Amino acid sequence: MNETDQGFPPSWPRILLVTGKGGVGKTTVAATLAVQAAARGERTILVETSGARVVPQLFGRPSEGYAPVVMSPRLSAISVTPEAALEDYVVQQIKVRRLYKLVFENRIMGPFIEAVPGLHDALQLGKVMDLERETRRGTRVWDRIIVDAPATGHGLTMMGAARAMMDLTRAGPMFEGLRQVHDVLDDPTKTGLVLVALPEEMPVNETLDLWDRLGDGRRQVRMCVLNQVHRRLCTDRDWAAASPHLQALASPAVAEAMDLVSATLSRSARQEDAHARLASGLPVPVVDLPALSHRVRSTEDLQLLGAALTEGLQ
Amino acid sequence: MSARVIICCGSGGVGKTTVSAALAARFAREGLRVAVLTIDPARRLADSLGIGELTNTPRRVPLDRVVPDSTGHLDAMMLDAKSTFDEMVRRWSPDAESAERVLANRYYQAASTRLGGSHEYMAMERLLQLWKGGDYDVVVLDTPPTRHALDFLKAPDRMSGLMDQGVLRWLVMPKTRGGWRALEFGSEAVARVLKRLVGRGVIGEIAEFFDAFRGLADRMRDRSLEVRNLLRDPHTRFLLVTSPAPTARAEALYFLDVLKTEKMPFGGFVVNRTATAPVHPLLASDLPEVPPDGLSPDAWSACRGALLEAHAARSEQAAVHADAVRILREAGPRGAPCWLVPEQAEDLHDLHGLVGLGPHLPADVWSQS
Repeated sequence: MNETDQGFPPSWPRILLVTGKGGVGKTTVAATLAVQAAARGERTILVETSGARVVPQLFGRPSEGYAPVVMSPRLSAISVTPEAALEDYVVQQIKVRRLYKLVFENRIMGPFIEAVPGLHDALQLGKVMDLERETRRGTRVWDRIIVDAPATGHGLTMMGAARAMMDLTRAGPMFEGLRQVHDVLDDPTKTGLVLVALPEEMPVNETLDLWDRLGDGRRQVRMCVLNQVHRRLCTDRDWAAASPHLQALASPAVAEAMDLVSATLSRSARQEDAHARLASGLPVPVVDLPALSHRVRSTEDLQLLGAALTEGLQ
Repeated sequence: MSARVIICCGSGGVGKTTVSAALAARFAREGLRVAVLTIDPARRLADSLGIGELTNTPRRVPLDRVVPDSTGHLDAMMLDAKSTFDEMVRRWSPDAESAERVLANRYYQAASTRLGGSHEYMAMERLLQLWKGGDYDVVVLDTPPTRHALDFLKAPDRMSGLMDQGVLRWLVMPKTRGGWRALEFGSEAVARVLKRLVGRGVIGEIAEFFDAFRGLADRMRDRSLEVRNLLRDPHTRFLLVTSPAPTARAEALYFLDVLKTEKMPFGGFVVNRTATAPVHPLLASDLPEVPPDGLSPDAWSACRGALLEAHAARSEQAAVHADAVRILREAGPRGAPCWLVPEQAEDLHDLHGLVGLGPHLPADVWSQS
């Protein structure tokens, strides 16, 4: 691995939250960043929050649980669902697992607990904080924490979760813990944001909207990733020059393929437009990741995307 | 007579909103009075429907601009969860004063926008209003993109469970007239846990909220029973919208299982953005190697390459998609309808485009089961 292959800047904050709307490829981007960090020697943990547990599939490893599982050298993954985080927190606090069951597996109390605004998110973030603080023999366990955050709407809630809970708890016993979570999440030197979008008009609008709503959070955004960008097949100019000659061939097969090329060219134009709008709207690097012909399914795919990411950042 | 309901479910990014709107337009063309309720704040949908913006109240879509002979009509609206919740509180509270108490409560203010499941609940509430209102023959609901399908279907039960009088009694006990003391009753151990977890302040807010909400709780439970009925009504159909992508497909199949377990009526799959294979084979020999006059060899070879690549890519994609559709068909109940919506070359940006999807969509969802 040479200098230019080092991935995202090591100077980026230790915690990176990868956020974006459902289906845009947050998990892929998070895994790509994690592979880069681990490759240059950082002890890295990749946190899944959706409960989907797709990361182990990418690495061909057994499913991860609420304890970190090694995916590859220096890279571990953990699945932090709200339920597991809640149980963990309560058991830590009250030390009696039986009481947890009594309260939270209780038909009446279950919905009530779920209703406390931001509790779930705050607990998931609390677990991220535990990872942040985790030490072994005096040195911290994780150099890099990459969080595959829930879908945007939810991701924002996640950011606002600590604050919402603080508003309500005021001086409650969770207050101190939440304040610490909030302080770390709000600190641009400690936590960075990576926005992920697809190169289409709507997702770009949504990303620009998200940027507007981020407020102070904007200074934490390190980059915006456009996922699944298709390679342009040829220039519009060449195509316009060649088209009359191709039509003159009067072949149904060529005519049909011409329609296909035209469609991909207009897609390329839309994708380039999407990139341009983001690049002019956001004062952070906008990086294109190539569309693969198949679903991302291996570490080779992640390395390929990682190379594109590194190139895009330069 | 209550309206027939179609609920479009599927993972995020599969084009659920577009499919819902196109389906609604199709029914309107056939002379029905149709409403489409979308959850996503999709400004572009408003644009493509030819209306200024989507709001919580129905707006008439100028369908006659595109289909002059259409005898039905189409109204579109977008869920505003907060105002639906506020409206519900005002309508069901025994008096204006208790409504104001709820609306002013800090927990309510935080909960009505952040409460997990409240969005889904309000969608159901709005759907129920449209279902019973008598203004429509068909109501199409575009559901929130939710990873956990059950969250959506169980939202009414969950919310009503939350507001249940039993919980109220359990959580708050009257100390003196007009004053409520949180959690002084019930299991001491449970009370201790809750206080340690979320603090006395939160419990107090919630207790006040529940107290203020008491007048509404019964109504809410009645409504959630009605929603249960609506979801299992013989005229309700769930359409599972998916793309051919493996993750979206897996989610559709998961949802299918949920429908079976919950005994909710499955209406079929809609596979959006499917690629159709090229009709003609294309060989390199179909394209002369020598560039025509006036064209540089590079430009010609780039365009030649583009044609071959686009053709090969489409063939491969079509094969993958055909496979995806086969998997869906095999997983679904025998004879389950499966509609394929071909990928559109351009983004849909107007009513013409939306109406153009119609022929690919189910004409009669109800005759199938």
